[in-house]
Amino acid sequence: MAVTGLLFVGFVVVHLFGNLKVFAGADAFDHYAAWLREVGYPLLPKQSVLWALRIVLGLSVLAHIGAAVTLWWRARKARGRHRRRLGGAESQLAGFMLPGGLVIALFILFHLSDLTIGGPGASASFRHPDPNVHAYANLVASFSRPLVACFYSASMLLLAAHIFHGWRTLLQDFGATGARLRRVWVILGGLIALAVVAGNASIPLLVLAGVIS
Amino acid sequence: MLEDATPEMSLLELLDRLNDQLCEQGEEPIAFESDCREGVCGACGVTVNGTPHGPVPNTPSCRQHLRAFGGITKLRIEPLRSAAFPVVRDLVVDRSALDRVIRAGGHVDVMAGTAPDADDMLIGHADAEVALDFAACIGCGACVAACPNGAAHLFAGAKLAHLAMLPHGKVERTRRARAVVETLDEFGPCSSYGECVEVCPAGLPLTAVAAVHREGLRAIFKGK
Repeated sequence: MAVTGLLFVGFVVVHLFGNLKVFAGADAFDHYAAWLREVGYPLLPKQSVLWALRIVLGLSVLAHIGAAVTLWWRARKARGRHRRRLGGAESQLAGFMLPGGLVIALFILFHLSDLTIGGPGASASFRHPDPNVHAYANLVASFSRPLVACFYSASMLLLAAHIFHGWRTLLQDFGATGARLRRVWVILGGLIALAVVAGNASIPLLVLAGVIS
Repeated sequence: MLEDATPEMSLLELLDRLNDQLCEQGEEPIAFESDCREGVCGACGVTVNGTPHGPVPNTPSCRQHLRAFGGITKLRIEPLRSAAFPVVRDLVVDRSALDRVIRAGGHVDVMAGTAPDADDMLIGHADAEVALDFAACIGCGACVAACPNGAAHLFAGAKLAHLAMLPHGKVERTRRARAVVETLDEFGPCSSYGECVEVCPAGLPLTAVAAVHREGLRAIFKGK
């Protein structure tokens, strides 16, 4: 759970940096998208790094979900018949990890279909790389749909909450007991969560507002 | 219904009074556990309106006084709830699952010889304070009952963190960690809800949970 979770946080941060290129304009964004398809070339075949990442992330998602279900089942058995009332915000966040995680899983499926595969849910003007990439145009076309833009932004809020609590739990799972490290770690988790919301969730809203077009 | 409850009564005194009343009416008294009644022994422990020990945070049942209940006059008193704590009778639960953790590693089992000079083994003041803070656990089991996952990490972590810091405890550090972590399978996993630290009468921090994983990981990498 912790190892795959840490991997996802790393991925989300790198993905966020990539997304921010949208503010540098269509050329920069498309150029970055094209580079992602040929990282490591000519040492490695084109798209090999991309596919390696896809496989590792895909397996990690399965492991993460498998671990979540196992933990849920163990907790249910250990808790007994009586449900607990959840107290503070931290506790509520912990209780929201599983339902929130399910929504995030659905979001990932939609996101892949929308902007990578061009399957169900993609905008009418979606274009595959031919070989020029059309990532920027696809993004603007997708986020111009208000419902989709709102879903993206709301999912980013969920993801931030998931990361905030997951990050704090990482500290426990890796056995960090030092007082200073624990304080710094929690602040860092808050900053990552904030960056995810501020960076990612703003893009669909700015497309809707017409700032990015 | 108790008509003569007074603000200075503790929760257990309230139960005593209720039992007096039941006996006067010729009924069976309600069974509950208590011993020192000064928050030291960890024998008492009931759930009050859904919260282990009662509405006052970080206070054992015996030190919960009605004057601090803030106008709550209707109390739903249940036993501590957890699959690891089967109910024996009324409010009495079997907490021997915690004893199994202690038997596995909540103790020091080394040949210590005769009493050494006081300055033979130096322990820094800060270390001694931290170890004593973790040693404050009274083993009441409220952490397990408060946990939505039924985890005992706060309890087990307090023992591990305490004993790992002191010279005699350090001798068995790896063996203890393995044994204690194994006994935790009887309980649930920790998901950092933090409900345990809200009820813990010893005020243990969530750092104790990290100590379970620190000691467990250390034991894995330690080899034998």
